[in-house]
Amino acid sequence: MKSVRGLSAALAVLMLLPGCSSVGGGGFGISNYTLIRAKETSVGNGSLRVTPPREWNRQRGQLFVDIREVEDWTQNGPLLDGISFVTGLKGGSTLVRQTRRDDRQVPKFRSNMTAPEVTAMLESLFRVRLGTVDFRTLGLAPRPFLGQPGFQFDYEHLDSDEVWRRGRAVGATVDGRLYLILIDAARAHYYDATLSDFEAITASARKVR
Amino acid sequence: MSGAEAGHGLDRRTLLAAGGVLAAAGATGVASARVLPAAMVPLVGPGYRPVDADERGMWQQMARVEEEIAGSNLVVQDPALAKYMQGLIAKVGGPAAKDFRIYLVRIPDFNAVMFPTGFAVIFTGLLLRMRNEAQLTGVIAHEAAHFLRKHQIRQWRDTRTKTDLFAILAMGAGVAGGAAGINTGDLTQLGQFGTILSLLRYNRVLEAEADAMGVRLLAEAGYDPRAMAETWEQLIAEEKLSAKYRRKRRRRDISLFGTHPSPESRMADLRVSAAEVTRPGVFYDARRASYLAAIEKLRPTILDDQIKLNDPGASQYIVNTLAQDGWNGLLRFHEGEIYRLRNRVGDDIRAAQGYAAAVRYADAPADAWRWHGIMLSKAGRREEARAALTRYLAMAPNAPDAAFVRQMLVS
Repeated sequence: MKSVRGLSAALAVLMLLPGCSSVGGGGFGISNYTLIRAKETSVGNGSLRVTPPREWNRQRGQLFVDIREVEDWTQNGPLLDGISFVTGLKGGSTLVRQTRRDDRQVPKFRSNMTAPEVTAMLESLFRVRLGTVDFRTLGLAPRPFLGQPGFQFDYEHLDSDEVWRRGRAVGATVDGRLYLILIDAARAHYYDATLSDFEAITASARKVR
Repeated sequence: MSGAEAGHGLDRRTLLAAGGVLAAAGATGVASARVLPAAMVPLVGPGYRPVDADERGMWQQMARVEEEIAGSNLVVQDPALAKYMQGLIAKVGGPAAKDFRIYLVRIPDFNAVMFPTGFAVIFTGLLLRMRNEAQLTGVIAHEAAHFLRKHQIRQWRDTRTKTDLFAILAMGAGVAGGAAGINTGDLTQLGQFGTILSLLRYNRVLEAEADAMGVRLLAEAGYDPRAMAETWEQLIAEEKLSAKYRRKRRRRDISLFGTHPSPESRMADLRVSAAEVTRPGVFYDARRASYLAAIEKLRPTILDDQIKLNDPGASQYIVNTLAQDGWNGLLRFHEGEIYRLRNRVGDDIRAAQGYAAAVRYADAPADAWRWHGIMLSKAGRREEARAALTRYLAMAPNAPDAAFVRQMLVS
């Protein structure tokens, strides 16, 4: 999940220093990003396909942090903007890896969760993993997604780096699994600059299995 | 960093670990008696300004840090509450009473820090955990004592790594100057704040001094000096419960010798010191009502900030501690919230019970009705769900999720 952007960014810096070679990155160099072309592409665990209107950068998943149902993209770097995909999260799973001993935990997804419960789960993800100190719901409304009754969740949050960010999540539970696309970007400029891409991507999303 | 050798300010972890002054001294056979409150005289007067070059340099740096903090958007903008806290520090500030500044920052953790130039940063998580004015004033008195005893400069002059500290301070000021913070989600590592706070660690002797003087200042201001030990006791219990939930031992990081710096011994010292300065036969008013009035507007928010961290051990302890002064709709609602977020098998039922209990109180927040309705709906009790959600919309017609709730009502 991109919301561990701080960790990803820190790791990215660390990676550069000792000149580690990347595994599964882009080519021979040191890269945490792969280019996404402006054509239909498969995301997450492959159960969802989307078509971005322009090129994006796929962030490499962090071992021990990211799960295979989640994939993060960014345009200008994870501190500024990003789109995340949740592709069929099973009941009983969490959006990020965590150990049983973490004091503060991201709640588990349950198949029978209503939209308010899913959005509360997202809120805790931000608060627990991102150090979000203020989180405001701007809107929660019904919105079909993948041809199912779903929801649109709009929110903004102040993080511990003192930046206000804004986000929108569109999601639905299909056959007990959570599908969701989320944009989260700095409220100043970057959110507005990325929203139309997000909407196009969301509109193009189709479930393939 | 050399700061790791000591406890600092009032971070809930480090203050617990810093308690081992006597225990450690006892183990090594070094005579180190409890610091006596009576011996704690202020080392600064009103309007204190540093004279020595090193201290003046420190003040200059700190002026920049204060500027950064004052302008941070983490600072809670609540003039009435700011005035209230300013009043408290004026009561226990000794000769420097009029020189202190307090900044309240929106961070859901137990922490308060006194900076060397006489401004304090208090986290909202601390306000959440205080049951009354006496407890909060006790923490403020402890912090004031750090300033009045010139702890920062004494610590610096005392340490072998003074140059390191200056280097770190310069770096801290640089960070405060606007480099982007990297959040790891660990609230003790908060971007700029974390860097700054880590500069302000005091060794155990200094912490013991601040305790002893704080107790005395508290008593002199007419508060029950036992309130400080009570605060410590709550913290220790909260730590224990939080750790137990995650099946691990209580955190004991930042312990210099790794042997037995026990927070319990610090608490024991506080109790003895408190007894020493307690005047027999005097009735102490904890001033709970005035405290609750001061934080009334903020309390639902800071309670929510804590619960949403999904640290059920700590959250339950806090809710139960606050409930010792009486349950209400807000606390019952959050009791339900703790279970909902904990989300273990059977917790949905416990959460539902919490919401059902909450809405029986006249002060139940609108969100209690919302969640009550959602839980009833999931349980298939449609008519009751409809009534609860209708009530929610009546209470919060402009709620951001009104569109969704209305759809729930028609479907």
